[in-house]
Amino acid sequence: MKELFPAKQVMGFVFSLILTVVALLVYFTDMSFAVGMTVLLITAFIQAFLQLVVFMHAGESKDGSAIYTNVFYGVVIALVTIFGSLLILIWDM
Amino acid sequence: MKIDHTQPLEYSTDQNQLNILGFWIFLGAEIMLFATLFTSYFIFEGRTGSGPTPAEIFEITPVLIETFVLLTSSFTIGLGVHAMRLGRKNAMLTFFGVTLLLGLVFLGVEIYEFMHYYHVGATYQTSGFTAGLLTLLGTHGAHVTLGLFWGLFIILQVKKRGLTPENANKSFIFSLYWHFLDVVWIFIFSFVYLKGMM
Amino acid sequence: MEFFERFAVPHASPMIYASMVAIALVSIGIVVGITYFKKWGYLWREWFTTVDHKKIGIMYLISALLMLFRGGADAILMRAQLSAPEMKLLDAQHYNEIFTTHGVVMIIFMAMPFIFAFMNLIVPLQIGARDVAFPRLNALSFWLFFAGAMLFNISFVVGGSPDAGWTSYFPLAGNDFSTSVGTNYYMIAIQISGIGSLMTGINMITTILKMRAPGMTLMKMPMFTWSAFIANVIIVFAFPVLTIALLMGTTDRLFGTNFFTTTNGGMDMLWANFFWVWGHPEVYILILPAFGIYSEVISTFSSRNLYGYKSMVGSMVLISLLSFLVWTHHFFTMGQGALTNSIFSITTMAIAVPTGVKIFNWLFTMYKGKIRFTVPMLYSLGFIPLFTVGGVTGVMLAMSAADYQFHNTMFLVAHFHNTIIPGVVFAMLAGLTYYWPKFFGFMLNEKIGKITFWLLTVGFVLAFFPMYITGLDGQARRMYTYSEATGFAPLNMLSFVGAALMAIGFVTIVYNIYYSFKNSPRDIGSDPWDARSLEWATHTPVPEYNFARVPQVASSEAFWDMKKKGHQLFKGEIKDIHMPNNSGVPFVMGIIFFIAGFSFIFAMWVPAVIALIGIFVCMALRSFEQDHGRHIHVKEIKEIEAQYGEVPGNENRSHTTTRV
Repeated sequence: MKELFPAKQVMGFVFSLILTVVALLVYFTDMSFAVGMTVLLITAFIQAFLQLVVFMHAGESKDGSAIYTNVFYGVVIALVTIFGSLLILIWDM
Repeated sequence: MKIDHTQPLEYSTDQNQLNILGFWIFLGAEIMLFATLFTSYFIFEGRTGSGPTPAEIFEITPVLIETFVLLTSSFTIGLGVHAMRLGRKNAMLTFFGVTLLLGLVFLGVEIYEFMHYYHVGATYQTSGFTAGLLTLLGTHGAHVTLGLFWGLFIILQVKKRGLTPENANKSFIFSLYWHFLDVVWIFIFSFVYLKGMM
Repeated sequence: MEFFERFAVPHASPMIYASMVAIALVSIGIVVGITYFKKWGYLWREWFTTVDHKKIGIMYLISALLMLFRGGADAILMRAQLSAPEMKLLDAQHYNEIFTTHGVVMIIFMAMPFIFAFMNLIVPLQIGARDVAFPRLNALSFWLFFAGAMLFNISFVVGGSPDAGWTSYFPLAGNDFSTSVGTNYYMIAIQISGIGSLMTGINMITTILKMRAPGMTLMKMPMFTWSAFIANVIIVFAFPVLTIALLMGTTDRLFGTNFFTTTNGGMDMLWANFFWVWGHPEVYILILPAFGIYSEVISTFSSRNLYGYKSMVGSMVLISLLSFLVWTHHFFTMGQGALTNSIFSITTMAIAVPTGVKIFNWLFTMYKGKIRFTVPMLYSLGFIPLFTVGGVTGVMLAMSAADYQFHNTMFLVAHFHNTIIPGVVFAMLAGLTYYWPKFFGFMLNEKIGKITFWLLTVGFVLAFFPMYITGLDGQARRMYTYSEATGFAPLNMLSFVGAALMAIGFVTIVYNIYYSFKNSPRDIGSDPWDARSLEWATHTPVPEYNFARVPQVASSEAFWDMKKKGHQLFKGEIKDIHMPNNSGVPFVMGIIFFIAGFSFIFAMWVPAVIALIGIFVCMALRSFEQDHGRHIHVKEIKEIEAQYGEVPGNENRSHTTTRV
């Protein structure tokens, strides 16, 4: 039975639960918008990275570098699109 | 078909390796797909017209259930892949089954949530904000629904044909898909709900 | 009767009725002809169900040529309408429809399949692979593109064409101002073919990353493969944006949502934003493979290695990133602040740098080379100066303050045609002439080809250079007529003459194919151009397995080095070759997508839902299917190889002297 629950994945799960609870502090305590957003950004990206490495085994095969490049490229373009659009249509309109 | 026994089953043929890399590239496209949906949501967040605002319609309880259910399902499918690599077919099928059940619970709560929005007057047609919100949530929910069918097919195939390289490959790719949906949900949870209720 | 009224064309004119009759007659003619010659079985076995990348490439090629003529007919009508003041050839509505379909057809249904044709035909051969990574997905991509193209084209005679411009800006494209189903066609047809493009992108990237011949590192890939790789990376990250934008536009039109409306919090400007987040990278999706073809052609016909291989690759990688950072330059006048416009002005101008690097690399490749003035080389030589003019006017448009003067004038129209025609269209025609013998076993006539080139080049200059002047004088684009007093008439007449010359030029291509099919010699060997990269190390025409033995590569110009330095490409014994099985499912899915799309366009929900279920059933069947492909056995391979009589790679190359 024990071999079915590898320590790495259990720890990963526990850590992701902790990150979720930390993120929830934004709701349950009284934070300023800036602090709250900072907390959310940090917890969300750590959590995503955790899934990628621990659960999705992104780097395990010999295509690992291609896979990381692909994801990294996608995230960069995604952020450019999100913040560029916000700049154009809200912040600088 | 050449089978390379030094690799885990899901990587053991050339076609299997192609499938995994190809699926990762598909996930790259999915990142952009959801990024576009997030962009539109952020643009529309404050554009509520005569409809309700985010803080008026969001409820913490269903969101909490959805989040913990999906996080747990992401953990169980990870265990499923681990069991598969140990060659423990029944354990793997159990974990996959639990994952799909959790997925079903998630979907049920999401349907409840949508009905709640409908009752408080936040329909698809109400405002830019509701259209943006429901398209983002709906696209994620549609992915989960598709995943439920896909996962069911994979369970049936593993049951019938055993842990062949082909089935292992499909199961692994399905796990990538499911984890990815969890990642997307984390961003929805953080930047739609928590940001909206902050 | 009420049910059928929705399919009627609003604003019908004699021209549309004539087209209806013509389309009906041609369709009946095709069906009767195929039945009479008993070719249905052949078509089904060899083409509809094929998963062979070469046949799929040829189908893309034929579709692209057909669409070129459809879009070209639109173009010549537009130029005719504007050739004199107050022309009565087209009314305003009809003119709107024609410039809309011209743009969509040329970009989505002509240029895209043209580049996919070359990617399919060339990339697996250049990297020494048997097929693409996912052959059946490849067939599905094609049939989705084809379903989308057919759907878009019937809009002309069923329900009415879209009329809100190829950019389809809201609120004009919304229900209030575009009341016919035309814009539904736009949303759904592009959606379907866009899904196909995305799949091709995934397929090609995986193919190029994982299926290269032994020894071919990334930095030893031929330049066309590099360009295809980068273009597909852009496809994978740009097309999802279009998918979502079209989805939102569709729900706005069909379900009354408020994404791009002007009430209830909707934001029409978001459409323009998303459209160009996809649209600008799309430009590079088209131009990069064109650059790849020019690189192959220029180095072949200069008999020199491509100058600056690494800088070529580096500039393309840079372009792929920059292409996602410039989209605002399409709407500098929309109302965002000076800060945003300045940022995007600078990123836009920055793109001229890597593009300039490439121009110089081509020039240096030719420097001291033994240049052979073949038809593909002529197109490349025409491309360099003409494209540079297009690039320079692009830098003018990139200056956001000046753009307030240029925006939405004929100056802009002149600029983007000046990049697309010498950039993409010339490249496609160069590629067509260059690769024709590899796939059809005979060469296109050089003399007619040269006439075509000159007709197109002179026609292009006459048609588009005057627009720079009328644009600066204030002629707006998309205006269906103008008065005598504007003084635009003489230059517009000149444009019409140029367009007519181009039309004649395109007709000569068809004639050339016919003439060469009749008269060209068939014993051209496998390497008629004395070329440099691996695709020429195959037999002509290429057998279905491409290479009997997998080539061993040591440089980026493997075939040239084999010929000149005596590298041995093919070593070892012939082994059984694993090939994928044909499948009818992609074709059937194409038909179902067509039905689903058509039902959505006319808001017929029952067939729409049934068709959607059909799509999911096809996917489910695929999940349960066990298809491990088949093997071509050594004996059979040896028989096929013997038919060709020569094995490129280790034969005595007496015929390599060029025939041109």
